[in-house]
Amino acid sequence: MKKIIFLLALTFFINGCEKDDICTDETTPRLIIEFYDITNPSVLKNVTSLKVTGVGQTDALDTFSGVSKIELPLKLDSDTTQYSFVLNSSSSSLLNEDFLEFNYVRNTVYVSRACGYKTVFELDNPSGISLTDATTPDGLWMQNIVINTHSITTENETHVKVFF
Amino acid sequence: MKLMLKYFFNGCILLAFFGGFAQETKKDSAVAKTERYGIRLGVDLFKLTRSFYEKDYRGIEITGDYRLTRKYYLAAEIGNESKTVDDVQLNFTTKGSYIRVGFDYNAYENWLDMENQIYVGLRYGFSSFSQTLNSYSIYNPNPYFGQQDLITSGEKFTGLTAHWAEVVAGVKAEIFNNLYVGFSFRLNRMFSQKQPNNFENLYIPGFHRTYNGDFGVGFNYTVSYFIPLYKSAVKQKKKE
Repeated sequence: MKKIIFLLALTFFINGCEKDDICTDETTPRLIIEFYDITNPSVLKNVTSLKVTGVGQTDALDTFSGVSKIELPLKLDSDTTQYSFVLNSSSSSLLNEDFLEFNYVRNTVYVSRACGYKTVFELDNPSGISLTDATTPDGLWMQNIVINTHSITTENETHVKVFF
Repeated sequence: MKLMLKYFFNGCILLAFFGGFAQETKKDSAVAKTERYGIRLGVDLFKLTRSFYEKDYRGIEITGDYRLTRKYYLAAEIGNESKTVDDVQLNFTTKGSYIRVGFDYNAYENWLDMENQIYVGLRYGFSSFSQTLNSYSIYNPNPYFGQQDLITSGEKFTGLTAHWAEVVAGVKAEIFNNLYVGFSFRLNRMFSQKQPNNFENLYIPGFHRTYNGDFGVGFNYTVSYFIPLYKSAVKQKKKE
């Protein structure tokens, strides 16, 4: 009997020390873009010195090189996020700037005690993305943009394909 | 947890003291032993004192048991709790009432006419409650555009329920005539619960804090009064 009580008491103490205060679940996703070759649309194409900056931000998100997939955070306090994409940003003669504007609806979804809530996005249909050239027109380097999936709920899938 | 330990040891000391005290006053008797049967009513001091020192907690629990046979007691607790939890990402208030019904099995062989208990038991628990989401944050692992402020919500989720089972282990000691103190530990296992839409039952009155999975823990520290109803002779044990 004493053993049983002791074991029960031990179980309580172990349970009491359980930690679930660290957020390990997937929360607010970023928008995933994959780059494809326009001449061979099923083949991924790496970007070179692609400098990505959120419009209104002073610091660039990142400069991507040798990758075909990038992740973009979307604004959580607005239904529109605009990014500048400067291809070949390291070369003053080759650089080309395009703008992409993402329009979406936001939804707040409960995750867990540790994570609280996350925001998921649904790109507008049909005008989820609009492509514009730089203020000083230098031609569009993005030749075709395809929305793969309108709902952005996880980073485990490609949401937008860009062909160049 | 520290508090629970403190109460646990307090209880042990109390038991050791009064156990010894009680023994001295007992008379030896060879006549057929009779035992008292009746109802015991009490209140959980742990919840009551917590209500005073913990700003975000209000709770009361009334306990009762009725002696069915020599070893078995019909046992129940009813209570009401209100608790506000302030976590990093969430702040919410849970309010509601609960009832737990079951039995206790007294595993302690009392000397003479002592009426102490070391018991194990089972309970079925039911709680009816509401949750109010006071405020929350949106978790954003990539705050390129800056971290979001705390969002004040105030959304109330009503009509929530939960069903669970409890394994109880505890002691009760008679410290004065008919007055008992005791404590018990409880391990709870959820059967089913009605979850709010786009939120979660993170605290359930009577069940307490819920963890990932369906387990909860409980503790109470009771003072109770025994109302004797009748006496019954103890059957002699068969010789083996």
